Amino acid sequence: MNSGEPIIQIKDVHKHFGRVHALRGVSLDVRKGEVVVIIGPSGSGKSTLLRCINRLEEYDAGNIVVDGISLDNAKNINIVRQEIGMVFQSFNLFAHLTVLKNLVLTQRVVRKRSNEESERIALELLNKVGIPDKAEAFPIQLSGGQQQRVAIARALAMNPKIMLFDEPTSALDPEMIKEVLDVMLDLAKEGMTMVVVSHEMGFARAAADRMILVDEGQIVEEAVPDKFFASTNERTKLFLSKVLHM
Amino acid sequence: MAEQPEPSSNGSKLLRTLGVESTMRIDPWWGLVVLVIILIVVLCVVSADPFWNMLRFVSDGILITVIITVSSFVLVLVLGLFGGLGRLSQNRFIYALATVYVEIVRGIPLLVQLIWWYYAFPAVIKEVGNSLGIQVLADYQANPIAMAIVGMTVCYGAYMSEIYRAGIQSIPRGQMEAARSLGMTRFQAMRHIILPQAIRVVLPPVGNEFIALLKDSSLVSVVAVTDLTRRGREYMSTHFNPIETWTMVALVYLVMTLLSARGVAWIEKRSKFER
Repeated sequence: MNSGEPIIQIKDVHKHFGRVHALRGVSLDVRKGEVVVIIGPSGSGKSTLLRCINRLEEYDAGNIVVDGISLDNAKNINIVRQEIGMVFQSFNLFAHLTVLKNLVLTQRVVRKRSNEESERIALELLNKVGIPDKAEAFPIQLSGGQQQRVAIARALAMNPKIMLFDEPTSALDPEMIKEVLDVMLDLAKEGMTMVVVSHEMGFARAAADRMILVDEGQIVEEAVPDKFFASTNERTKLFLSKVLHM
Repeated sequence: MAEQPEPSSNGSKLLRTLGVESTMRIDPWWGLVVLVIILIVVLCVVSADPFWNMLRFVSDGILITVIITVSSFVLVLVLGLFGGLGRLSQNRFIYALATVYVEIVRGIPLLVQLIWWYYAFPAVIKEVGNSLGIQVLADYQANPIAMAIVGMTVCYGAYMSEIYRAGIQSIPRGQMEAARSLGMTRFQAMRHIILPQAIRVVLPPVGNEFIALLKDSSLVSVVAVTDLTRRGREYMSTHFNPIETWTMVALVYLVMTLLSARGVAWIEKRSKFER
């Protein structure tokens, strides 16, 4: 994990929402194949940071380079986004399309794949996330855990180099969290580069190469999980005591 | 959210497989349509003199009313889409243009707009033609039906813009974000993700607009268009029987609006489920 050049380079990024200074000079490198878990209190800027990586939020100052392309002067942000899969807290499956079509549409529209190829890839991925039998169902007919796994499959169908997870299990009932985390663990094992905003400490322990605590728009601490959980930093200890208590 | 599919869709599937739906689920409001048609037929049979003669006299007007309504509506659907997207545009100029259009049109009575398009607009064209020495423009003659369609379209396009805008805004933000995060352009996301969902939302108000447009089309009778209303007036002015004439005109409009309402309900029902 020490080898390889960073695939994501974040340099001194600032972001304001009106008067709120949401990100105050965040710098972070993520190497190819690395799994980085970001934690922090709500409103700390962790989701904003994640959303800056694929420019769903535009940052005000600093620079982010993804796979060699600077987001500052990326002529076509869509080219960059094709390489970055994103999974949302609220799943955001396309409500008017079946599960299969959710996976097929973007492959056809963005990747310009044929219908047969798209369907083959889609069914393979649905198999991988464990719901091959729901291909013809509509999103509303699925449980939250199933919807989130479809969302992961939909992102994977684009063959991204990086996967971003924005609190992927926060909207799920407790018994559905594991099925989503299992899929994410498999991905991590396969060597996918992942940036995960999540308070699932079990997942962090098992999969993270690095953990990061963000608070008030800044990185407070950054360490490998073993060191992170044994941190002597007061802020980290306080926050960990809260999440681990759950 | 439960594991099993929604019971309602299960139920309708069951009905469909049993073939029950088509026979059992006839909309009771069709009865009203039939009732009004029967009333017209009875009037024509019982008292053919004013009623049947009058109906034959205005039949070309009915056709004109239908032509104006349908062609305006098709244009309104297109203009409204552009207007609605314009109202949501991030480009300040396009946004301002769309907003000014909507605000101006909504602030002027439709009747005044129709009169303006028929009397004032051609005069403007002629003036321009004269002062620039362009003979084609100077000789411009307004076609009443074309000007009526333009007037109805411009007016209803503004209202339709707002309907589209509201429909598009009703789709959760996450849908656009998901589409964009997958690498779709704004246009692709609109076309494949947002609009297909928004159309289902706006179907009821769009249907209402069609019926409202059909009724308001009677205003074109003032600008030299021989629609149903104008033909009714022509008949009355020669036969002096206001009760029979205007009752019949009202009934014919009623049949058309009731039929449209049934059509709208049918389309809505079909679009509610998959595809």
